[in-house]
Amino acid sequence: MDFAYTPAETEFRMTLRHWLADALPKGWGETVFEPEDEDERAMFRLQWERKLHSGGWSGINWPKEYGGRGATLIERAIFAEEMARAQAPEGLNIIGHNLAGTTILRHGTEAQKKRFLPKIISSDEVWCQGFSEPNAGSDLASVRTRAERRGDHFIVNGQKIWTSFAQYSQWCFALVRTDPDAPKHRGLSFLLIDMSSPGISIRPLRQISGESEFNETFFDDVIVPAENIVGEVNDGWRIAMTTLAYERGPEDALGRQIRFKQELDKLLDTLSTQRRGNGRAIDEPSTRQALAKSIIEVEVMRLNSLRTFSKYLNGEERGPDASLIKLYWSHAAQRMYETALDALGPTAPLAGNDRDSARAGLFQLSWLQSKAFTIYSGSSEIQRNIIGERMLGLPR
Amino acid sequence: MNFGFDEDQKSLGDTVAKLLVDYPALTAPDLVRPHSDEVWRGLAELGLFALMVPERFDGVGLNAVDVALAVEALGAGLAPPSILSTLAVTDLLVRHGSEEQQRRHLPGIAAGTCKFAIATLEADQGYDPASVSTTIGEDGLSGEKILVADAADAQFFLVSARQGGATVLALVDRTAAGVAVRPHDDIDPSAGSCAIRFERVDVGSDAIIGATAPERAIARLLDTCATFAAGALIGLSHRMLDTAVEYARTRVQFGQPIGAFQAIKHRCADMAVAVEAGRSAAYYAFWAVAEDAPDRARAASMAKAYCGEISRQVCSEAIQVHGGMGFTWELGLHRFLRRAKLLEHSFGDAAFHNERVLVETLAATGDAADHQLDAA
Repeated sequence: MDFAYTPAETEFRMTLRHWLADALPKGWGETVFEPEDEDERAMFRLQWERKLHSGGWSGINWPKEYGGRGATLIERAIFAEEMARAQAPEGLNIIGHNLAGTTILRHGTEAQKKRFLPKIISSDEVWCQGFSEPNAGSDLASVRTRAERRGDHFIVNGQKIWTSFAQYSQWCFALVRTDPDAPKHRGLSFLLIDMSSPGISIRPLRQISGESEFNETFFDDVIVPAENIVGEVNDGWRIAMTTLAYERGPEDALGRQIRFKQELDKLLDTLSTQRRGNGRAIDEPSTRQALAKSIIEVEVMRLNSLRTFSKYLNGEERGPDASLIKLYWSHAAQRMYETALDALGPTAPLAGNDRDSARAGLFQLSWLQSKAFTIYSGSSEIQRNIIGERMLGLPR
Repeated sequence: MNFGFDEDQKSLGDTVAKLLVDYPALTAPDLVRPHSDEVWRGLAELGLFALMVPERFDGVGLNAVDVALAVEALGAGLAPPSILSTLAVTDLLVRHGSEEQQRRHLPGIAAGTCKFAIATLEADQGYDPASVSTTIGEDGLSGEKILVADAADAQFFLVSARQGGATVLALVDRTAAGVAVRPHDDIDPSAGSCAIRFERVDVGSDAIIGATAPERAIARLLDTCATFAAGALIGLSHRMLDTAVEYARTRVQFGQPIGAFQAIKHRCADMAVAVEAGRSAAYYAFWAVAEDAPDRARAASMAKAYCGEISRQVCSEAIQVHGGMGFTWELGLHRFLRRAKLLEHSFGDAAFHNERVLVETLAATGDAADHQLDAA
């Protein structure tokens, strides 16, 4: 066990730190913030992602031959820490980087890797995920969107739901049914679909936060070239499991931890200055206890990821530990935002446009958003099944 | 950077766990205090007590990370608390002891013949180790300590007391005149907790550890003990998880193993998540203590607060999963529940350590607003 860094790792950190200081707008986080409008914010994040790429800070641990930096998982962890430290914006092409790219890297053909990976890394192409359907949520293997083979292409018909960022995406990876007669896990395929194809329509879904990050996506006789299948026909479930392992894994958790850590720091700062009676909000003993617990849990999110990274580096396979990581961060983050609203006291209900709201309603919005954490990427109930059955060996 | 244990460290943990299996009395249902001499001898033959002693005093010169998995195994096996107390005092002597103190105690520790008990708590004080009413004055050491684990076995007590304007740590021979040991009636008699009354006990200046910077010695002791307690708590919790999972696999109701029911399966999954989270916090604390990292205090307090809370959750859930059997004396789960509660209240409870985590965090982030308001 050694948390010390090698000279090369330290140099990586300092180079990144200096680059970030130049790359972020002047006054970032103090006088300059992300746009409030959802579409403008999305474009701001996309521009930021492209800027990261232009500086060589995208695809940190991906192979150089596909446009990555070829760095180690440790440097990937350092990257996350430095992004947190600089309070850097999030990206938009998260699904491209974390899911599409990793799945193609693992299961794609050489041609697919050459075609898709560089444009994911550069965020020239943004991706969305076509897994869930109205009748295939936790029971993902029962998807009904059909893909019929016609010569050198597939014809896709059906509906996907909860497709985050579909409105900004050039590509979608989708789990589709290619054999309706096979047992449900064995008739699925994994297709890469060009979102500009005729026959695709998108309808935004409004979330409890008021935002419309996700959508319903309809496929009406959409033509997909046969070479856009990942893996074999009817082997899509296995490919999708890889996607899910990455979606729930330590890279994803480390990226999210950045945001939680930043917002927790902002909360501590807010409560240190907010007056409450004769003292400050942060002087309240019950608040202090709850804050400490969130500080610990946000730190443990990071440590959980680092421990899992180390397991991978020491040669262990990716497995159900991804579910453990996801189950942990999702509930811990929800607790943190509950603590935030508790701690804000009488001003907690005030939203962003009210002049008396704390941090322009940041914590309230995040609290609303956090209700999705334990549902998406596999609900907590599904994660508990996976941990119970595959990690603890309990019967199905 | 590598957040994993090496083969030697894993092997030590496994070996200690296997050795403790040979002493079933340690985890038997009845609340009698097991004879610890044989366990001690076994662990001494294994070389456990020599590990943290420097080579020049017949030791191996390893650190807290090297013994982390052994500490976990000791917690899981409900081993006598004097083992962890002695390891913590070893660390303290190595870091803050004088040459003379090291020469006097470390070879005996390495040989496994010298046992220590830590006497810091007082009935009318909180968990802040600097706040004590026991004093060392011109007429010697006077005061009363409580919950001194395995006090009856120890040759030496490490005692916190006020001296001059500071709180110091003093090593007191248990046979010194004026020392009276009274066994407690308490939740876990197997831990051998005692109250110790000191009445004008002669304490020479050579008995004070880290006399030039006593507050640093006390902070080090707190962080080491809190980390060891966290490690023991998470080892104990992992054992409770394993026990519950094993029962859920084999106990049949409604025609199937109860572990097939999500009500049980999901409880077990939540326990597994909690145990792994606690390990992340505890292992980091072992590293921070071993390296004397700048965030040592924060890491140790995080681990102690969090692992205590997790042990509560896991012990309670494990009993629940066992149904009526879990509540029986003869199954013996109460032994772990009791030890966990004792450890929770040792070396600072969750409330004490949570407060310390917040203070350390605000200090580390350079809470500018704090200073402004304080100045106003």
